[in-house]
Amino acid sequence: MSAAPQAPEARGGWTVGEEAKRGRARRRHVGRAFAAITIVPVVLAVAFLATLLGGIVTDLFSWQVVASRNSAESFAWRQAPFGGDAVVRLELAAQGVDAAEIESTLDDPEQRRRFFARNRVEFMLYTDQGPFRWVVTNMRDRSIELVDLIPGFAQRSDLEAALEPGQRLLLNPWLDGGFFQRVASRNAVSAGLKTALVGTLIVILGVVALAIPIGVGTAVYLEEYVAKTRLARLLEVNIANLAGVPSIVYGILGLSVFVRLMQFGPSLLAAIFTLTLLVLPVVVIAGREAIKSVPSSLREASYGLGATRWQTVWRVVLPSAAPGIATGVVLAVARAIGETAPLLLVGAAAFVPYMPEGPFSPYTVIPVQIYSWISENSAEFRHVAAAGIATLVSVVGALYGVVFVIRRRLERTRA
Amino acid sequence: MTPASGRAAPHALSRRANRSRSEAIIGALLFATAAITVVTTVAVVFVLAEETFQFFREVSIVEFLTERRWTPLFAEAHYGISPLVLGTLLVATIALAVGVPLGLGAAIFLSEYASPGLRRQLVPWLELLAGIPTVVFGYFALLTVTPVIRALIPGVNLFNPLSAGLVMGFMILPTVSSVSLDSMQAVPRSLREAAYGLGASRFEVVTRVIVPAALSGIIAAVLLALSRAVGETMIVTLAAGQRPAFTFDPRETIATMTAFIVQAATGDQPQGSLSARALYAVGATLFTITLSVNLIAQAVVRRFSEQYE
Amino acid sequence: MTTVDPTRTRAREDAPRVGTDHETVRTDPVDADGAVVDVQGLDLWYGAAQALYDVSLRIPRNQVTALMGASGCGKSTLLRALNRMNDLIPGVRTEGSVHYDGVDLYGADIDVVEVRRHVGMVFQKPNPFPKSIYENVAFGPRLHGFKGDLDELVERSLRNAALWDEVKDKLKQSGLSLSGGQQQRLCIARAMATEPKVILMDEPTSALDPIATDRIEELIQNIKQEFSVVIVTHNLQQAGRVSDRAAFMHLGRLIEEGPTDKMFTAPRHEMTERYLTGRFG
Repeated sequence: MSAAPQAPEARGGWTVGEEAKRGRARRRHVGRAFAAITIVPVVLAVAFLATLLGGIVTDLFSWQVVASRNSAESFAWRQAPFGGDAVVRLELAAQGVDAAEIESTLDDPEQRRRFFARNRVEFMLYTDQGPFRWVVTNMRDRSIELVDLIPGFAQRSDLEAALEPGQRLLLNPWLDGGFFQRVASRNAVSAGLKTALVGTLIVILGVVALAIPIGVGTAVYLEEYVAKTRLARLLEVNIANLAGVPSIVYGILGLSVFVRLMQFGPSLLAAIFTLTLLVLPVVVIAGREAIKSVPSSLREASYGLGATRWQTVWRVVLPSAAPGIATGVVLAVARAIGETAPLLLVGAAAFVPYMPEGPFSPYTVIPVQIYSWISENSAEFRHVAAAGIATLVSVVGALYGVVFVIRRRLERTRA
Repeated sequence: MTPASGRAAPHALSRRANRSRSEAIIGALLFATAAITVVTTVAVVFVLAEETFQFFREVSIVEFLTERRWTPLFAEAHYGISPLVLGTLLVATIALAVGVPLGLGAAIFLSEYASPGLRRQLVPWLELLAGIPTVVFGYFALLTVTPVIRALIPGVNLFNPLSAGLVMGFMILPTVSSVSLDSMQAVPRSLREAAYGLGASRFEVVTRVIVPAALSGIIAAVLLALSRAVGETMIVTLAAGQRPAFTFDPRETIATMTAFIVQAATGDQPQGSLSARALYAVGATLFTITLSVNLIAQAVVRRFSEQYE
Repeated sequence: MTTVDPTRTRAREDAPRVGTDHETVRTDPVDADGAVVDVQGLDLWYGAAQALYDVSLRIPRNQVTALMGASGCGKSTLLRALNRMNDLIPGVRTEGSVHYDGVDLYGADIDVVEVRRHVGMVFQKPNPFPKSIYENVAFGPRLHGFKGDLDELVERSLRNAALWDEVKDKLKQSGLSLSGGQQQRLCIARAMATEPKVILMDEPTSALDPIATDRIEELIQNIKQEFSVVIVTHNLQQAGRVSDRAAFMHLGRLIEEGPTDKMFTAPRHEMTERYLTGRFG
């Protein structure tokens, strides 16, 4: 209901009176409906992200009914606050092993090795004997039933009631410290991210070591050294196109050039070179933005003092552009960490149960490892994959957090 | 001050030989780094072209383009690319149908309806969404989305383009929204003022002034999203399937170009065999499509960007 | 219309003293039914900072009123208060009233969109839409549901803006293809197309060359038969040339207002005299 200022004597053509009022009301309603609708996409995007992350988190846990080859006993957290050998002692005691033998199992290196080859100390969020307890799991424990986190809460009492002797109910967190210390395995329970972690670390270090000088060098060249000629324009367009090339094409390039032509084989070296080329446009574009935003007054001051071009770049421009360049590097790392397809093509193996020994030995990286776990198509490996994904997403999220902080600091100093 | 050799002493202001030499060397080094990007492009084109050329010595282009079967491993092999292209486009279409309206809507909200504070808080989350590795999206598509879709819609296979397309839509949403957002923010404030001054409501300012003015950027955003959707690998490999099929039904299992490339690379085809070369032919097709789309996007931006002085 | 040379002014000896709580000095005040817009007691805050202090001003019908003052005195703010453009700025608070045709534009159930139909605005820098000339002028009428002959309205507006002859053959061309002065006349035509009663102009010629400025000043003189014009200008000569009535503002307060020639030759307030003789601003 709104009044309008007295309209001028209705000049021909303008709708007046009731019809005008209705027209205005309609415009208002359309406007309000539209405003409401535009919130929907953002809400949906946030909901999607939340569902995705929530799904990962719930997949990090599973309820398991396990037939234990050990004592099926669990031990309160307080009994062994640091886990490890203390738990082993409790377990062996529960099995009726006498004290002397317990000590020799733990002290004698050979016996120790054999014990830990078959057994593992794990912390469970919940067991049929109560929450937050240690257990010793045997590699050959049989999994009777596997239930997802949320349904498990509902079924818990039923599952506990149905436990037979020698069986226990565990709420197993798949992402624990041990996950990072174990290598890949055909057995979901013993699978871990260690090999992939090492592989990713080496690849990323290599990529950073190469991409920074090449990428920043290219950015410097384009911004400081070359005139705005056709050649420069061509280079720019070329880089923009490279940024849009699908990552799998970089994989094909790497396969042909690094793996086959240069005969690096399916090695870490090939992976490093391939990914470097892939992230180069990211670094160059971010670097150019950063260099462009260095005020020309700084450059003029430097030249005015008699500095050469390189001296100006090295001592004035780059230090000033450093935060922006750092942002580009961090974004490049975030991208490189998550790339799967190109690495599959250049030979990151799906199953590498041992640590890489040299630059040419078989290796794997985190996303490829995750991909192979998902492809195992089993309920247990699904949880292992979730653990790997949680790790990967956390790292990527942390990197984006770093970018956010750098950008906010940049805004503050600019303002 | 006269040196024994009789040469004139260097003037204090004259060029220093070693400094200009080191500057020249540095310049050359920097040029070399820039040249790497050029070499990369040349290498990509060359590698794809060479193997594809070899491929087409054994397979006719006509068959490649018109045959509806892609069966490189059968005894009687067929090399028609259309099932792969169709599969790719099917997923990409669904992804665009989801990602473009949502991305554009998000951009409009962030640009015109959200306060600057809210905008600054939300944009990083969209960036994060864009940065999530695609293998994670693939996991989500296969293990969470597909069961839901199969429960809701009858006749959907375990591996289907619908799940992959839906999830991919959210993956490209940030691309559409951030490029569109930049484009809308670039519309000068004076145009908004003019429109408000004439008595336009916010809705009318958005639909009659801002979006038309930002149209080139929005089109470019859509094209970039299309390019990403076409070139994406992990979501489709995990969730859409690896069985080429010439179909328009999003419930059926298909294979995209990228899924085939992964399959071919991780399989054990002898190097140099025709079925191994097929990888390059498909890669070349993929590269050509995405490059064309990217070039069109750049042209669109260039052509319309001289709009407001 | 007499041109007044502001350098040859002197304060009248019997000019009243005005204290810190200002009271506007008014010469030949406009009476209520001669006013098309009646501002009463207008206060405006940008957040915590007050920008307008108790401004009361009557805009006479079918005349050109100039708002003058140094940078930051509030003249643009006051102008924008007349069509509620300040509403677009977050954190703005307005108190007081602006009456137009008997209705308070800041009343509770006023549709701001309608306000701007009746009170049009031309901005400092020409801002035609990146659309055709025709579409620029037709934009306003289309918004407000004009059902009559749009071609006629567009032509009439362009004629009133003294632009018709120059563009009648190229109505489909982009508004941006015109020169700066032509673009501003296009913006004036665009504002006139909604058939407002009042047209506000915020330094409309400050971005233009002298020839274009001249044409627009001439235009303003012509259109006051149909419209009432309020113009903000920092160019004293222009104010003297173009306006019938002038209002001088300082630090958010209306110091003096009256017929232009009387104010320029014999300002009654000390501040006005100092401004007109160029001592500040």
